[in-house]
Amino acid sequence: MSVTYDVVITGGGMSGMMAAITLADAGRSVAVVSKGDPVCCLSTGCIDVIADGNSPLESICSLPDNHPYHLAGIDVINSSLEMFKSVMSAEGGAYAGDARANRRILTPLGRHKTTCLVPGAMEFADFHPDEYIHIISFEGMKDFYPNYITSNYKNSGFSIFDAGVSTTMGIARRFENRQFLEGFISWLKGLDIPEGRIAMPAVLGMRFAEDVCNEISAELDRKVFEIPTLPPSLPGLRLFGGLKNALLKRGGHLYWGKEICSVEKSGSQIEAVTLAGAGRSTRVQGNVFMLATGSFVSGGLHASMDAVRETVFDLPVYLPGKRESWFNNDFFAPGHPIEKSGICVDKSFRPVDSRIENLFVCGSILAFSEVMKYGCGHGMAIATGVAAANVCGELV
Amino acid sequence: MIKTDVIIIGGGSTGCGIARDLALRDIPHCLIEKGDFAAGATGACHGLLHSGGRYAVNDPEAAAQCISENMILRRIGVKCVEQTGGLFVRLPGDSKKFRDMFLKSCEETGISTEVLSPSRALDLVPNLNPSIEEAITVPDCSIDPFRLCMLNITSSLRWGGEILTHKKVVAVIREHGRCVGVKAQDESTGQTTEVRGRIIINAAGAWGDKIASLAGSSVPMTLSKGSLIITNHRLTNMVINRLRPSSDGDIIVPNEAVCLAGTTSITVSDPDENEVDPAEVDIIATQAQQMLPDFEGTRLIRTYAGVRPLLKADGGDDREISRGFRIIDHENGMLSIMGGKLTTYRLMAEKISDRVVEVLGLKTRCRTAELPLEGQEELSGYPLSRRLKSLKNIVCECELVTADDVERVAREIGTRRIGDIQHRTRLGMGPCQGGFCTYRALGIMQETGEMTPEESMHVLREFLQRRFRGIKPALWGDQLREEQLVESIYLGILGMEQEQ
Repeated sequence: MSVTYDVVITGGGMSGMMAAITLADAGRSVAVVSKGDPVCCLSTGCIDVIADGNSPLESICSLPDNHPYHLAGIDVINSSLEMFKSVMSAEGGAYAGDARANRRILTPLGRHKTTCLVPGAMEFADFHPDEYIHIISFEGMKDFYPNYITSNYKNSGFSIFDAGVSTTMGIARRFENRQFLEGFISWLKGLDIPEGRIAMPAVLGMRFAEDVCNEISAELDRKVFEIPTLPPSLPGLRLFGGLKNALLKRGGHLYWGKEICSVEKSGSQIEAVTLAGAGRSTRVQGNVFMLATGSFVSGGLHASMDAVRETVFDLPVYLPGKRESWFNNDFFAPGHPIEKSGICVDKSFRPVDSRIENLFVCGSILAFSEVMKYGCGHGMAIATGVAAANVCGELV
Repeated sequence: MIKTDVIIIGGGSTGCGIARDLALRDIPHCLIEKGDFAAGATGACHGLLHSGGRYAVNDPEAAAQCISENMILRRIGVKCVEQTGGLFVRLPGDSKKFRDMFLKSCEETGISTEVLSPSRALDLVPNLNPSIEEAITVPDCSIDPFRLCMLNITSSLRWGGEILTHKKVVAVIREHGRCVGVKAQDESTGQTTEVRGRIIINAAGAWGDKIASLAGSSVPMTLSKGSLIITNHRLTNMVINRLRPSSDGDIIVPNEAVCLAGTTSITVSDPDENEVDPAEVDIIATQAQQMLPDFEGTRLIRTYAGVRPLLKADGGDDREISRGFRIIDHENGMLSIMGGKLTTYRLMAEKISDRVVEVLGLKTRCRTAELPLEGQEELSGYPLSRRLKSLKNIVCECELVTADDVERVAREIGTRRIGDIQHRTRLGMGPCQGGFCTYRALGIMQETGEMTPEESMHVLREFLQRRFRGIKPALWGDQLREEQLVESIYLGILGMEQEQ
């Protein structure tokens, strides 16, 4: 015998998890099916809402009419971001910032990234260029080279700490150890760092690093912040860990590490999906299904030589043109046309040109989302995840 | 100013081969290359050490040169030649008449062949198209062009030859109508070095006419662009050729961990015109699938194109032009060597060096076919067991290159160029195509002081553009996923932007 969930969500990334949390809060039984840790684990952990302008909520209004943000609407965008903050805060990973203002955080290349909500450990990453900044790096760390930053900031310096290990995860694990942290702090005290801020790559522990930052900050009387790193990214992993806990606490089910191998339909309804597993397969039944599998990187879309396919339900995919036109010539040009591809939906997040009635779509698989071009990755995922959950929750 | 006897212009296989030949004959020489070694057609070919089979029917002279050089190179260059063997496969619909001509021509040229039934061919290469009519074995090999150049240069350096890379010949100095030297300009500093010599050899390949024109001469050439695709892994252990008259997409060559599939042939007017057209990729991929069905669905990690410097012929298809070579005496102190193949580089070097000896009035004979290439004893080769010896501080996970390797190479050649490091270590040659490791390698070069952080930002930007140009024509499937990840790293996490 098997249970029938009110809603089965395929994809455990930002949009899928936020949709699941929203539905669980509304009292629905919900299951999330994911083939593995989502792409958000590779992210900076910051919530980019829209990179353009100082006020994201204002900038969103000037996005093209077909951008999925408009499906959610300003009110839901705002309330979903607030909801995200309270969910994370309850998990011990409070986020700073709000949707009315963008901030610029320091990157490992000494450049800036525009984002909106940041983990507590990055609260002080937006600083005045005249202020002195001291970078702490770790011996042998292969994804962090402080020279990139100090060459861009004349009023800066750096020191290197030997943590005994050189990988991002290895150093982060060391910070879980009280003695190690104390040793690190006393080493920092011995450096005689000038007045200003202290920045280090995001390795201050496996869990949310705000407490570690605060402790260092109190001991040294300096503002301290983390700089997001290349994958594996601790802030991304911490973010995902927080969402996962939040869902489990609410009674949501996770089917993890299993890929969907078949879909059962009856007329215009999807009835169940079957997950391939080692040894035996699992059948998951639902009244309503939600597609939140993301775009190409996460595998929601797959491109062949001349076509793009949606990988779970084989929904029709919008494609901006033939392969020659998928990419710009300039790597740095904002927005390669291929980013427009995805699933077109109606006002209630249902795929158009598809005969399925109990399916909703959210997140970066939505057509015209152009996440890289607009710098709207997690923000758009949160807003559409919550908005789609609101609509489908009414249906159940 | 540098004074020498022979000035060699061009650091491709021919130029490097000449440097070695002259070193073994005790003749002072100076090689000048505008980029790194093998930067032109040498490095952009498919790395095939021809058996001559491809030319046996239409170009028997070139075929004969190929097979005899093939036998020499597999003897003298053990560490840069992999004796893979090759197959010519005949698919349903391919002409039986051509097959008969092929066998006859191979026999006349001295290329050993054996006709295999489909099942025997499938025993050798299990993922061959099972519907082939038959396959014919030939002694094709795979060769590493960059390593080949480096080993030839090693002989020259050990002897005391002058080797100048990243220096472009901008002028030929003439006195009383004779070429007596050249001016070479450094790529990054812009400084000019004068080199004086008794003979100038123009081995600039596709840029040959440009060099000749600096001396008031010209060389009749046809420039033919050939494009190739690199697969993510090795689909075959043997070279696979299509048994039919030369045409697009008729060859797949295994090379270390990958396969190279090619080629096309398009006449171009400029040697720097090496953009790959997505339509060429489609042709190569479709044709390759006919020989190896697994090619479909295989991840393609990059495309590239080289410009073949062919001898000029009147009209007709580029493929009809002989792959033979020619020495042109401009009768002003400059000799040009044109045409030929990577496979025949040693023979070309021998013939032109014979000419040099004659002009200089010396009596020395060529020894390059007798002595193994020097410096091979230091090469590890590719075996994984060797590479896994040191797993510490790996910066390039795809090709297992360590931080120490990068530091050593950067110090050795004092380079400010990421390409030089990539050539010498294979850094960035794997699936991510340098998406992760280039940022790291540049960080290491900042630490060793080879490069300022400002320079490295510039190099990184340029690298990403060049990389994208190579990847873009074949961007679908898993490589598209990788590409979007790399894009999100540089534009998203690291905050790089389009230059204003």
